[in-house]
Amino acid sequence: MIMSSIVAHLYLFFSQHRSMVFVATLASIIVSVITFVHLNLNENIESMLPDNKTNTAFNFKLLQQAPFSRKVVINLKKGANGSENELIEAADRLAQAMTPPFFTHVVSGTGESLNLEFLLWMINAYPSLFAEADINKIQEKLAAATVSQKLKELYARLLSPEGLGMKRLFQVDPLDFRLNTLEKLRFLNIIPRMRIEKGHFISPDGKNVLILAETPFEITDAEHGREMLAHFQGLLADLIPDNISVSMISGHRYTLANIDAIKKDIAIILICSSLGIFILFLLFLRSLGGLFVFLVPICVLCISTAGVSIFYRTLSAVTIGFGAVLLGISIDFAIHVYFALRSNPGNPQEALARVSRPIIFCALTTLGAFGVLSFSTLPVQRELAVFAIIGVCVSLILSLIILPHVPRLTQVYKKKEETYKKIEFRMARRWVVCGWLALLIICAWQGTRLHFDGDLRALNLVPDEIRNIEDTLQQTWGNFRGTAVIFAEGPDLQTALEINDRIFRYLIQNSSSGSIVSLAPILPSLKTQQSNRQRWNDFWSNARKEYLNELLTTEGKLIGFKSTAFRPFFRLITEPSPFITVEDLRTNGLSEIVDSLIIPADKNVKVLTLLPDTPEIAVLLEHSGLDRSGIQLASQNQFRQTISKAIADDFIQFILKASGVVILLLLLFFRNLKKVLIALIPVVSGMLFMVGVMGVLGIGFNLFNIVAAILIIGLGVDYGIFMVTKITHGLDLATQRAVFVSGLTTLAGFGALVMARHPALHSIGLSVLVGIGAAIPSALLVIPAIYRINDKPASGLEKYRNE
Amino acid sequence: MKSVIILVLILSLSAFVPGQTRSENPENQNRIFSEIASAASKVDTFECDFLQEKHMSMLDNILISKGRLYYKRNNRLRWEINHPAKSGFAVNGDHAKRWEGDSGRSQTFKVDQIPFIKVFADQVFTWARADFKNLEKRYHIKVLSDAPIQLMLLPISPQEKKYLDHLRISFAADASYVNAVEVHEPDGDFTRINFSNIQINNPLHDSLFN
Repeated sequence: MIMSSIVAHLYLFFSQHRSMVFVATLASIIVSVITFVHLNLNENIESMLPDNKTNTAFNFKLLQQAPFSRKVVINLKKGANGSENELIEAADRLAQAMTPPFFTHVVSGTGESLNLEFLLWMINAYPSLFAEADINKIQEKLAAATVSQKLKELYARLLSPEGLGMKRLFQVDPLDFRLNTLEKLRFLNIIPRMRIEKGHFISPDGKNVLILAETPFEITDAEHGREMLAHFQGLLADLIPDNISVSMISGHRYTLANIDAIKKDIAIILICSSLGIFILFLLFLRSLGGLFVFLVPICVLCISTAGVSIFYRTLSAVTIGFGAVLLGISIDFAIHVYFALRSNPGNPQEALARVSRPIIFCALTTLGAFGVLSFSTLPVQRELAVFAIIGVCVSLILSLIILPHVPRLTQVYKKKEETYKKIEFRMARRWVVCGWLALLIICAWQGTRLHFDGDLRALNLVPDEIRNIEDTLQQTWGNFRGTAVIFAEGPDLQTALEINDRIFRYLIQNSSSGSIVSLAPILPSLKTQQSNRQRWNDFWSNARKEYLNELLTTEGKLIGFKSTAFRPFFRLITEPSPFITVEDLRTNGLSEIVDSLIIPADKNVKVLTLLPDTPEIAVLLEHSGLDRSGIQLASQNQFRQTISKAIADDFIQFILKASGVVILLLLLFFRNLKKVLIALIPVVSGMLFMVGVMGVLGIGFNLFNIVAAILIIGLGVDYGIFMVTKITHGLDLATQRAVFVSGLTTLAGFGALVMARHPALHSIGLSVLVGIGAAIPSALLVIPAIYRINDKPASGLEKYRNE
Repeated sequence: MKSVIILVLILSLSAFVPGQTRSENPENQNRIFSEIASAASKVDTFECDFLQEKHMSMLDNILISKGRLYYKRNNRLRWEINHPAKSGFAVNGDHAKRWEGDSGRSQTFKVDQIPFIKVFADQVFTWARADFKNLEKRYHIKVLSDAPIQLMLLPISPQEKKYLDHLRISFAADASYVNAVEVHEPDGDFTRINFSNIQINNPLHDSLFN
C-alpha cells in the first residue's frame, strides 16, 4: 500500500505544479527527439556473440581470419559471343583501375604462367621436400629400362621448339623428378575449381575470370563501404563492355543490405504499429485524454533511445527496431491508468491509488525479467535489456505521474461503458479450461520438435541478388569461402610451420578429404626440411650414385648425349641446395597463396590449413591422439553447433532465472501461492504456444527468440496480475477492458514487427506475436474460468480496501 | 613474297637473344618492315620444308632434324618433324596437341600450359600479322646487312635474355627468300634452320591443325 500512497501523494503534489510537470516533460521529449534523430546505428555481427572471453568469440575472430572472409571477390563472366581474351583484358583493366583509397591490393592471377625458372626452383628444392612417400616414386624412375626410355624422349624433345628453352631443365632433371614436386602443388589450390591460364584465375569452362581485392575499410564501416561500392559501380560503367557481366561480393554488401533493410523496416514498423494503435484509439479510447495515452509510447521510444545511448556509443539497429515493440508494451500502463481514471472520474486520486499497485508490480516483474537479460553475455541482448528497462521505467513515470494531469482525461463516456459490457465473454467455463488444457498439451508435444539454430548468418538479411551471386560463385569456383580452417600458431614462423607440418602429416594419414590446402608440402619447417634432406642424402648412397652415373653415361652415349651432359643433375643429388624460404615462394609467383595462408601478428604467427567444412573434421581433431597445442579449428559448422548449444543453455538459464524473479515478485504481491500460479497462466500459455507453433512450423529458436521469451514472461505476467487482481479484488470491468486493449496494442506492435524483412526483427515479432496472442485470451478467458470453477468471486472494492 | 613468309616463320622461332650489333638506318628498317607487312597481308596459308641443325654442348654430334611447317590464318599452325623420329605439335586457337613417335601417342592441352609452345606460336602469329608494333615492344630489331639482308632480334625482357642471346636471319643473295635462321643461346649453343619448297595460299585442310 505504500507505493499506492506515494503515487496518490505525488498526484496531489503535482496537481498544484502542473505547468512545471508539462514543461519538464516537454523539454525531456525535445532533447530525446533530437538524440533519436542523430543516432548512430551499427550492424556488427560481433554484438551477437558472447563477449565473456569464451571460445565462441575467439573462434569467431579466427573465422574472420580465413583467407576470403574479408576480401572483395569479383567474378567477370563473358557473354555468349565474347572471347576469353576480351574477358581477360576487361579483368586487367578493372584490376588496374581498382586503386587506393578504396582498394589496397588487387590480384587477378599469378602474373605469369609457370615458367622454366619456377620448374628449376622446384627441382632444386626437391631435397628439402623429399618426404618418405617420395622414396618409392624415385626408385621407380631409376630402373634401367625407364632411364633409357626417358633419355630417348628427352632427345626427341630437344628437336622441338620446346627443347630450346627446356634444355637447362633437361640437364638438371633428365628423369622428370620435377613431376614429384609439381604433384605437391595440388595442396596449394586455395580455389578448388580455379585454373591458371595466361596468368589469370580462370574457371574450368573458360567463361569466368576471378579478381580478389583487399580494401582498408572494415566490413562494418557502412559509410565507407557505401562509397567503395559506388566507386566500384562507376568503374564497371566506364571499363566493362556490355557483353561481360560482373558480380561482386564482400562483407560490406551484407552490412549495407542489412542496414538499409532495417532502416526501411523501422519506418514500416513504426508507421504500421502507429496506425494499428491509432485504430485501437478510434475503437476504444476516442477522446482527447485517449490521444495523450497514445502519445506515451512515442515519448517512451524517444526517451529510451536517448537514455540507452548514454550507455552505448552506437546502437544496434536491431535494438531500434525493437522500439516498435516497446511502443506496444509501454502503452499498457497508460491504458490501465486511463481506464481506471475514467471508471472513477469523481476521485482520480483514489482511482490512481487503486490501479498503481498492480501497475507497479507489473512493471517490477517486467523489469525483473529484463534485469535477468541484462546479465546476458551477448552485447545485443544486454543492449535490448537496458533499452527495455529504461522504457518500462519511463512508461511507468509517464503513466502514473504525468498522464493523470492531462486535462479532460477523466471525462466520462457512459455509452461506451455500456457497449463494452456487451462484449464480456460468457462461455462455458469448463469447456474453456478443457480446451485450453488440450491446446497446451498439443503445444507442449509439438514444442519437443523445436530446434536451436546457431547460424548467425540466418539472422542477417541476405537479398536474393547476393544469394544468387553466392550460389554462382560456389558453382563456378567451388566452396572456397566456406572452408574450415585449422590454425597452427606459434611465437615465430618456424614454430608455426612445425605445428603446421604436424597437422598436415596427421590429416594425410587420417582424413578422407582429398581437398586439403596446406603449405606444408611446399614450405615445411626448417626442422622438417633438414629431416627431408637427410632422407635425400641417405637415399643417394655412393653405390646408387655410381650406378646411376654409369647408366646415364652408357645409355646416353648410345643415344648421342655427352658424358658430361647431366652434370647439373649430379650436382643436385650431391650438393646441398639452400633451404626453402617464404621469399622463395614469393619470387616464384606464389605470393597470393603465402599471404592467404600465413598471418603474421605482433606476437605470433599463424599458418592456415584449409579443408572442407564437414562434421568429420571437428571429430577428427577432438578425438585423436594429435597434440593440440598451438592448434585451433575454426569451422562454421562447429561454430553453429557451439552457438546453438549456447542458445539452448541461455534459454533454459534465462527462463529459469526470469521465472524465479517473477514468481518471487508475485509471491510478494499476492502472498498466496494459488493466486501466483493462476497469474502465471498467461505466461505458461504464451511460452508453450510459442514453442509449439515454432515446432510445428519448423522455425529454429535463435538468440532473439530468447528476448521474445523474456517479453512473453514480462507481459504475460502483467495480464495475469491485472486479471487476478480484478477477480479477487473486484476491480470493475475497466480492468478487463484495459487488459484487452493493452493486449491489442502489444499485438499491434508485434504484428508490425512480423512485417519486417530483417530476419532478426521478424523472428522476434513472430514468436512474441504467437506467445502474446495466446497469453491475452488465456488471461481474459482462462483465468476467470479457472478461478471461478472452485472459488467464489471476490466482492468488490471493499475486499481490496480491507486488504 | 616467299622471303617475307620465311622471315615470318623463322623469326617466330626466336624468343630470346642479347648482344650488340651495329646501328642502322631507321628509314631503311621501316622500308623493310613495310615490305614485310604488305606481303604478309596477302597470305592466308603457307607450307614449307625445314632442315634444323642443333649445335648443343650436351650432345656428341650435331642434332639434325627434318620436317614440314604449315600455317593458316586465324591462329592455326603445325610443326611436323619427320626425321630422325616423328614428333611435332599443332595449334588451333587456344588449343594444341603434340605427339611423339609412330605410335600415335598424343597429348592435347591449352596452349598456355606449355609456355615454350605458346611463345613459338605467338611469334608465328605475330609475324603473320606483321605486327611490328608488338614485336618492337619485345625486341630490338636491327638490320645487320642490306645485301644480302640480315636481321638480328635482341630480347628486351630480362626474363627472355636468360634463354636467348640473339636471333640472326639470313636472306638469299637476291633477297627473294630467307635461307637460314640462327637462334643463339647465352651458353653458346645455337640452332640453325634452313627453309625450302615454300608454297603460299595453297588450300590446307583444317584437320591438319586439330
